[in-house]
Amino acid sequence: MNVLAFVFKSLVTGVRTINRKYATPQIEMTLFVKVCLLTLRLYLFLLVGLMAYKFTVSLK
Amino acid sequence: MTQTGPISAGKLNIFARLFYQFRRSAKALRIFAVIAGPGIIVMVADNDAGGITTYTVTGAKYGNHLLWFLILLGPVAYFVREMTVRLGAVTKRGHAEAIFSAFGSFWGWFSLLDLVLTDWLTMITEFIGMTAAMSIFGVPAWITVIGCWLVMGAMILTGRYWTWEKLALVFCVGNLIYIPAAFMVQPSLPDIVRNSLVPHFPPGGFTNDLFFLLMANIGTTIAPWMLFFQQSSVVDKGMQEKDISFGQWDTAIGSFLTVIVATFLIIVCAKLLPGKPVESAAEAAIQIMPMNKYVGMIIALGLFDAGLLGAICISLASSWAFGEVFGWAHSLNQKIQEAPWFYAYYFFDLVLAGTVVLIPKAPLVLITLFVQVIATTLLPTALVFLILLLNDQQTMGKYVNTTWQNIANISIVIVIIVVSTIYGVSTLFPNLLQ
Repeated sequence: MNVLAFVFKSLVTGVRTINRKYATPQIEMTLFVKVCLLTLRLYLFLLVGLMAYKFTVSLK
Repeated sequence: MTQTGPISAGKLNIFARLFYQFRRSAKALRIFAVIAGPGIIVMVADNDAGGITTYTVTGAKYGNHLLWFLILLGPVAYFVREMTVRLGAVTKRGHAEAIFSAFGSFWGWFSLLDLVLTDWLTMITEFIGMTAAMSIFGVPAWITVIGCWLVMGAMILTGRYWTWEKLALVFCVGNLIYIPAAFMVQPSLPDIVRNSLVPHFPPGGFTNDLFFLLMANIGTTIAPWMLFFQQSSVVDKGMQEKDISFGQWDTAIGSFLTVIVATFLIIVCAKLLPGKPVESAAEAAIQIMPMNKYVGMIIALGLFDAGLLGAICISLASSWAFGEVFGWAHSLNQKIQEAPWFYAYYFFDLVLAGTVVLIPKAPLVLITLFVQVIATTLLPTALVFLILLLNDQQTMGKYVNTTWQNIANISIVIVIIVVSTIYGVSTLFPNLLQ
């Protein structure tokens, strides 16, 4: 149990460190980059939505 | 005497220049032999178990009619992979780390976790291919799985990237086994030349089945793990900016080989299984056995080799990505004591994927379909990030994409995104294209 708690704690600490390290995107945020990232977000929302819909329909 | 002087000097000059050119070429060849590897390995591994199945079905269903399409995919694969070579050599970072650094932790975590899931599912499909291939020779699945674990484990425990790479190249040579198979079936050369050079649709025209198979062929040419693998291996190998041109040649030769292997496999299946319903490469091998025992065996052995090579690369792609992001030691040049987490993840991935195949009644068909859908969520992001990074002056300096590279790469990426999305969505909703 102690080992599991240690591994979990190390993992959480590691993730927090990574989040701090990469908190600020280094790429120059031009309009083109912003549009691409927004499009990607919308694309992924749509795709995940389709998957969720398919999963729900399959369960029924 | 007055005439021979200048002539001798002229002759000497020509020989000196020829000798200089020879020395220069020999030196370039030696450097290339040292630097070549990542491009060839990733491109040949591109013909993994899933790829071999796709080419088998293509050949059986449409004969040689789609050879021209496959040849077109060679340059497509080259242009995309060449960008990872430049990015890796310039930034000295793997693709996962480059995404974290450039786009922040949200996109970084999304790419990393998606890669891990996609790689793990793809690994399962490689094990499915390997066990199916060896079952043709009467080898039980558990022996195949354990044998693969041992081979793949032994390959990375050498503690040297160079040794691992040369062993992987041996498996790449194994992938060329389809070339003699094609000569053994004696196909019609004029038919092959005509179908390779003249773009056309097979008899029956453009149907939904044809569209699905074209998408599958594109999907097997560019998979997300390949981008991550090639960039990480370029970094692990220690390629510098001055080596980029050699890396480009390496990738070009790999692209050529991948098309050659696929073409010869299609030729074999077109000749021996014309119009026959084939679902997988293993099934094709079984159907070919009564017609030509040796060719059937070659198809099975090639499938095993393709699965093994794919599994070798995919498991490393994930381990490298985790190592880069978590800051673990993550080089094949480090021994197991020096990079314990890197090797632990590698073996964890390997054992987990192999074990799934051994579970009785595991939903293997569902997993195979799921790979295509999950890959659709990762491939567009990885490709778009690649384009954005290659256009970032601050990141790439003088190696930033030129206008012509952008025209070619952005066009290719848009087509791949559209096609892979349709492919993924039509896998979710099979009646969509009816």
